[in-house]
Amino acid sequence: MADVDTGLLEGTDTTQKTDLPWEVILWNDPVSLISLVVRVLRKVFSYDLPTAERLTMTVHHEGKAMVWSGSRQEASGYCLALQGYALTATIQPSA
Amino acid sequence: MSEPFIRTASGIAVDLPRPLRRWLIEQAAAAADDAVSANGPVKRRLFGPIDLAADHDDPVAELQRQFAVEGSLGVLVETAQATELSEEQAEEWIRGLQLVLVAAAARQAIVTDDDLARIDEQRGAELQTIQALISLLIDALDP
Repeated sequence: MADVDTGLLEGTDTTQKTDLPWEVILWNDPVSLISLVVRVLRKVFSYDLPTAERLTMTVHHEGKAMVWSGSRQEASGYCLALQGYALTATIQPSA
Repeated sequence: MSEPFIRTASGIAVDLPRPLRRWLIEQAAAAADDAVSANGPVKRRLFGPIDLAADHDDPVAELQRQFAVEGSLGVLVETAQATELSEEQAEEWIRGLQLVLVAAAARQAIVTDDDLARIDEQRGAELQTIQALISLLIDALDP
């Protein structure tokens, strides 16, 4: 299903919210185990172990990490999957 | 206590003391109650916004999250006395235990490592018990 662009009619850009890549951000929390986060990243995104470990350590040391980017719809689905494990995750458009 | 979780041909064998099983049921029930308590810390933590810039989340996503939380905690309660879990049930235990852990942390306003460091000994021991169960279950599922 295509997005309807009414921007030319209304003088506003209504396509940017869905057309730009969106990022899934995973935030650090003090109680979730590193092993749990690694496991969830592997399960949700099918990442290999080194990738999941690298992202987890970025979250741990820097407070957050961008763990995936792509369409808004897919980002929302991944975000919900992470939240299903009580991890703190959000989505945002790529800067 | 022997190994609490052991992989078997059909799933995960569970060997937990009865008091711990009863405690898990209480914790899961409390997390489920708090998850629907209006504007409580557990609800805010478990159902935080997906898109921080949006006024509100997609209502379908809200429902999906609510069902997922209720489902995982429900499986944990229903199977807390089980001696063997299927793969699917064990995965729900991981989710359920993690929800219990995060709900307990939210109740105690634990947001940072400093918050965690200053909670009392009993609360700290409870969090560590849940973390240990998660870790042991992960080890059994992914040897």
